[in-house]
Amino acid sequence: MNKSSRKVMSFTGGIHPVSAGKKLTNTHAVHTAPLLERYTVLVQENAGKAPEVIIKPGDKVLKYQLLAKASGFVSANLHSPTSGEVAGIIEVPGPMGVPALAIDIRSDGEDRETDPFEPIPDWRSAEPQLLLDRVADAGLVGMGGASFPTRVKLTIPPGKKVDTLILNGAECEPYLSADHRLMLESPCRVLEGAAIIGHILGIDKIYIGIEINKHDAIAELERFSEDYGIKIIPLQVQYPQGSEKQLIHAIVNRVVPPGGLPADVGCVVQNVGTAAAVSDAVTLGIPLVERIVTVSGKVLKDPGNWKLRIGTPVIKAIEFCGGVTDEPSKLILGGPMMGFAQNSYEVPISKNTSGVLLFSRRRALNYRSGSCIRCGRCVQGCPMGLCTCLLATAIEGGRIDLAEQNHVMDCLECGSCAYVCPAHRPLVQTLRLAKAEIRRQRAAAAKANSGK
Amino acid sequence: MKYLELTVGAVLVYNFVLSRFLGICPFLGVSKRVSTAMGMSGAVVFVMTLASAITAAIYRYLLHFTLGGVTYDLGFLQVLLFILVIAALVQIIEIVLQKLSPALYQALGIYLPLITTNCAVLGVATLNAKANYSVLDATIFGCFSGVGFALAILLFSSLREKLELATPPKAFEGTPIALVTAGILAMAFCGFAGLC
Amino acid sequence: MSGLIVSALVMGVLALVLGTAIGIFVKFFKVKSDPRVELVLELLPGANCGGCGCAGCADFAKAVASGKLQPNRCPVSSREQVNAIAFALGVDPGEGFARRAVVCCSGDKYQTQMRKFYNGAIDCAAANMIGGGPKGCRYGCIGMGNCAHACPFGAIEVINSLAVVHQELCVGCGKCVTACPRGVIKLVPANSSAHVYCNSPEKGATKRSLCHGGCIGCGKCERAYPDQFTKTGFLASVNYEAEKLPGAEEIEAIKCPTGALASEAGHYESEKNAGKGENK
Repeated sequence: MNKSSRKVMSFTGGIHPVSAGKKLTNTHAVHTAPLLERYTVLVQENAGKAPEVIIKPGDKVLKYQLLAKASGFVSANLHSPTSGEVAGIIEVPGPMGVPALAIDIRSDGEDRETDPFEPIPDWRSAEPQLLLDRVADAGLVGMGGASFPTRVKLTIPPGKKVDTLILNGAECEPYLSADHRLMLESPCRVLEGAAIIGHILGIDKIYIGIEINKHDAIAELERFSEDYGIKIIPLQVQYPQGSEKQLIHAIVNRVVPPGGLPADVGCVVQNVGTAAAVSDAVTLGIPLVERIVTVSGKVLKDPGNWKLRIGTPVIKAIEFCGGVTDEPSKLILGGPMMGFAQNSYEVPISKNTSGVLLFSRRRALNYRSGSCIRCGRCVQGCPMGLCTCLLATAIEGGRIDLAEQNHVMDCLECGSCAYVCPAHRPLVQTLRLAKAEIRRQRAAAAKANSGK
Repeated sequence: MKYLELTVGAVLVYNFVLSRFLGICPFLGVSKRVSTAMGMSGAVVFVMTLASAITAAIYRYLLHFTLGGVTYDLGFLQVLLFILVIAALVQIIEIVLQKLSPALYQALGIYLPLITTNCAVLGVATLNAKANYSVLDATIFGCFSGVGFALAILLFSSLREKLELATPPKAFEGTPIALVTAGILAMAFCGFAGLC
Repeated sequence: MSGLIVSALVMGVLALVLGTAIGIFVKFFKVKSDPRVELVLELLPGANCGGCGCAGCADFAKAVASGKLQPNRCPVSSREQVNAIAFALGVDPGEGFARRAVVCCSGDKYQTQMRKFYNGAIDCAAANMIGGGPKGCRYGCIGMGNCAHACPFGAIEVINSLAVVHQELCVGCGKCVTACPRGVIKLVPANSSAHVYCNSPEKGATKRSLCHGGCIGCGKCERAYPDQFTKTGFLASVNYEAEKLPGAEEIEAIKCPTGALASEAGHYESEKNAGKGENK
């Protein structure tokens, strides 16, 4: 097909962040990290409830062995990244800035595997429920960033009907190229995973949305996509193209209602990384214990994409890249727009860590924020159509009720507003504060109501 | 046409608050919240309409009449009678409001009984008398003068809700910046001059 | 002469008509109000701080007049004012129960380890949500002054990134306690004058590596005055129920090695002067 004549889809709003950062890593093939002596696997890798740890300090574990069992519906299993001994359950610096519990595994260097699951190579004739159970058993979570258990996302609430599966290969965050490399290097795993998810949901309309700056990945996927009956949709390079609601809008032109879920408009969105993991779990029978992580930043000697096991401390990932050339002043896990700044290099890689980014003093400017000048750039940039500047002013003035009336809860926290703000106002942070406060108030109100 | 002139003139051109500078006290006092301002406007529209109708009737038929061949001119009683009527009306509104909407009653506070001494209300009565409007004309003029007051206070309270979130210099916080805003709003209303 | 009579007549008739109208309205729309509420409201300070637990002075007045609360629940009123309300209503004023707020942290920017940089909103709650703000300790005062903004009496001052309560201005309404996202601020009896200015339950060594002002749990105070101090884990605390609360004399005798245990005056003085030597 002629590329130039193709319609390139997009959504309304959004921004165009400097995309030069991708060039640091997007031509580097994925390396597999050497075995480490020690892994600190976070107990809570998933959104929702933490799983229940089923091993004790001193236990010998094998690779892929179950470490923690899902403790409810919104919870996920956790498996060992290598074989060795459990040294203890300790507190390590967590990715959210507060210490988190982790299982300290001392590797025995042998990396002996256990076979936790039976591979299902002919999944097309398998029961969907069997495949869904496998997805749950393998501890899959959304690998795009939210780490929501995949099983929950693939269980359609009663009364809702879905007809479209969308795979998110947009990778709209600057610097990150992990999904790009994944699609380029193992397109069949991604496509197979998508087909399996489609089979679980009973859907045959499957799209993969990819930003057009990854034209090689688009070409690679299109070589095989017809065999699976999957459509590849090129998308405009625009942030946040990879957000669920924006992706749905761009590809099938449906709008998720405020406070709603993609299932409300008949869609399910999954990350391409999750699809590859689904493929591994079903066809090979291996749980999720490693992922591709972009380790990037100008201060790194040799930035690249690495296949890292969960529990790898960030400092090791930096060492794999040959260390740093200059003193870094900011470490971010995830993308530069939505990722979280860290204050320790001991933070472990988890199932949803798509990137490890290091910024020099110059790149991570220590700016001062000024007053809002009502220029409206944040309003133009907001993909959800929120009036961010006025929301932030209202919140700063203590009028959280006003912010709630004006749909602050619809904020994606994508960071577009803060990125374009010429006054460097901490808009996302302010909105997050209000969202947390509103959630607290609603929970308190619900509690008071149930008490009556 | 006459009524159009009367209404547009009362609401926009000779706006009670912003052109005639009458009724400034509640305009500044209860304009912090749009909801309170709406309550106040409702009360003022009601009082002004009724007061106009009653005072016009009093002016026409009670202050100048001929009884038994003697013509009585009680013009000197004008202000006294007007205040009497207005005070009674306000009293009634207060009693009703306290029963029906205690929250609004609380929010309006002292400004509700102060409608009695609100110069806008006495002003409309006096203006009616001066222009010698018929009872119908006076009622329409009074009603739309009230609407003009409502428009001004609603606009101003919306502005003040925004001002509350702004961070002016310390010396301007609160009433000073509100007065500056009121001045600018009044200037904006000058644009309607000459409309009719 | 007839003009006089006519005008009097006109006024009289009009007044009668209007008076009757009002009378009718009163009959139909009468609201019973308690004059005692007004009376209490007049005697209250009118700060609307909410320290009593009601939504402002008017609500409190209602509660007091109906006997639901005792007048002493108002933290702002002095003893005399409380007695005046009680006398006016003829009720029991209630036992004296005055409290003061204390920011239990001594980690100013010279004492505690500061992280590399913090670019975000100057708001404690917002900073607490992203990794706990610029300070190393995750239990201590963040120092962005949410409590100072919340205080209706201007009793909290942020000195060197640490909130300090001016005891002479504080009335113990507790607004700062709810404003603080970390729960560093505690309400203590008003007659106490010495406190443990640390809130972290972490191990002594960990604490020491983050903050020089924190309590390391050496137990010196508890050994010297077992009645007045208790140590739980690595954190000492003043036993505010003790018969004799510790004062300057005890503080002098204990000589807390980190200075976490200090008298109010001593704590304020040391914060005020912190960092001054460095500038020279």
